[in-house]
Amino acid sequence: MSLTKGADGLAELLGQVTGFIYPNEIEVHWSILIVVYPYVTGLVAGAFILASLVKVFRIKEVQPTYRLSLLTALAFLLIAPLPLLLHLSQPQRFYEILLTPNPTSAMAMFGFVYAWYLMGVLLLEIWFEYRRDLIELAQTSRFPLNWVYRVLSLYSKDTSEASLAFDRKATQVITIIGIPSAFLLHGYVGFIFGSVKANPWWGSVLMPIVFLMSAIVSGIALVILIYMVRAGVRGEPIDMPCLDRITSYLFYAVIVDFSLEALDFVHRLYQSEESVKILGSLITHKLFMSLWVVQILLGMFIPLGILVLAKACGFGAELRKLLYFTAVILIQIGIFATRWNVVIGGQLFSKSFRGLTTYKMEVMGIEGLLAALVLLALPFVVLYVLLKLLPTEGPRGKALSGATSTARTV
Amino acid sequence: MRIPEQVKRLAIVIGVLVALTLVARFVLIPRSLTSTSLHWSLTTQRESAKPVKFAGSTACQDCHDDIAAKKAKSFHRVLACEGCHAPSVKHAEDPSAAKPVIPRDRTTCARCHAYDPSRPTGFPQINLTTHNPLKSCSTCHNPHDPVPPKVPKECAACHAQIERTKAVSSHALLTCTTCHKAPERHKTAPRTALPSKPDSREFCATCHGQGRAGTPKEAPKVDIATHGARNLCWECHYPHLPEGRP
Repeated sequence: MSLTKGADGLAELLGQVTGFIYPNEIEVHWSILIVVYPYVTGLVAGAFILASLVKVFRIKEVQPTYRLSLLTALAFLLIAPLPLLLHLSQPQRFYEILLTPNPTSAMAMFGFVYAWYLMGVLLLEIWFEYRRDLIELAQTSRFPLNWVYRVLSLYSKDTSEASLAFDRKATQVITIIGIPSAFLLHGYVGFIFGSVKANPWWGSVLMPIVFLMSAIVSGIALVILIYMVRAGVRGEPIDMPCLDRITSYLFYAVIVDFSLEALDFVHRLYQSEESVKILGSLITHKLFMSLWVVQILLGMFIPLGILVLAKACGFGAELRKLLYFTAVILIQIGIFATRWNVVIGGQLFSKSFRGLTTYKMEVMGIEGLLAALVLLALPFVVLYVLLKLLPTEGPRGKALSGATSTARTV
Repeated sequence: MRIPEQVKRLAIVIGVLVALTLVARFVLIPRSLTSTSLHWSLTTQRESAKPVKFAGSTACQDCHDDIAAKKAKSFHRVLACEGCHAPSVKHAEDPSAAKPVIPRDRTTCARCHAYDPSRPTGFPQINLTTHNPLKSCSTCHNPHDPVPPKVPKECAACHAQIERTKAVSSHALLTCTTCHKAPERHKTAPRTALPSKPDSREFCATCHGQGRAGTPKEAPKVDIATHGARNLCWECHYPHLPEGRP
């Protein structure tokens, strides 16, 4: 809500303030779009880390989700900058941060981190992984798709064993470079918040690590969700050893994520700096529902319980699938609440530490709920197109091409 | 070693991308965007080429010397004429051709005098909704020599925030003059004739000193010789909202 609405708007906002706040704190400048941005970026990093399990750590059970993870990461990465662009007053000038770089501004460096991750890592890895499929699809598809595949394969035609071996090697090297890059991408998002020393809710060296871990949690959960829904829609059987394995990783990731967040909490409580009282009333009043109920109870404890139940009780495959499905949906909601609590929570208390304000979300506006929902739905549309164009099974219904042979040899 | 075919093709694509970036960076972008000194000098040129709109207060004084003399002694002495009357270079060049704006609505004065908690206490501020609604400000106040139409009787007329704080504190029943002596001139010249403030621990001890005769029995007592001996009382306790409760 903008203060340009004049005295009436100001009076309306003043009614929601408790205690004392500075005049410029009444308006929450970083809206729900800035909540969507770290959430979507986190999904990218998490999905890529899952994909790297196959290539770098050679975990063959996870193989069925390898290509799906890569394409999910790409679909979400393509949409990740959109919330930021919509948030800008002059989005058409965004390219200037790339042409006149400012290395002393962490925010201005985002363009480079993003461009590196998109073009230096993800597109390259996907291209090497799909090159053979693209060549075969270019030969078997009809016009105009065959031309699309021809352009996508960069008119490459070489499918000799030596050339395919080079592709496999290249994918592996890129994945190894990709892991620190994925850490950089999402650690960077945490850094943007963690480096704000004037804001005690954000300013913490643990912030990039906490962001990274929650990114891994949300990314893995998302790939599981998409994998299960896709198998259901296409009427294919779900690979249970694969699902069991990934959910085990998810379980460990949630535990590490929870431990880090608990450590951060205890650390703040023990340090008990002058901000501790206002942060206390922030989490017990303004963020009670989104932090304690949604993030910690619904998004962490209940899914953990469900996963323990599914692992320990020896249920049948159908019940396990249902339990996993419930857990990953709850985890998604929980991680979205985590982003909400960081971004919105950090703007709800006064820098005077003496008062709290309220965030009233718009519904229709460019920074409103509808825009956020569209932005959250867009990656799925992109993913649908990508999956239509780049099949995860390889051409002519064959089992996975290069990647499978690598995994099978180990 | 033979370079694989796909690497050659990728190299072409990457080469084209790098070339496009370099062209954009070194050909498309004007030098004024990358060189700070050039950027500044061009900005200065651009700004100084704009037409002048303000005549400046000296130009106003040449004709309106009576108003200028009055304003020079008033609270508004630091304000420029065109701050309220809008840029008036045309009027200065040919007084009959253009007339400056005379703000008679309630918005111009409100830019400085509408209540805003970030303004210093004591700065005259009003609530537009309740303060003589619909009346033009200049009906009661002369903007060239603004004084309140009535001299304030109580401190709260200007120090409302302190008054409200004190009203809910255990010092609510104390009048302001218990601790501050304000010369009469403070009401008309608040910045030049300042009220006094307590300057020693002894002052608070007259009510809060242990074992003193004549202290009110409900006031919390401390041994003034040992309690926080190195500090003045108001370094720890805010006198308008002291935390001690009887």
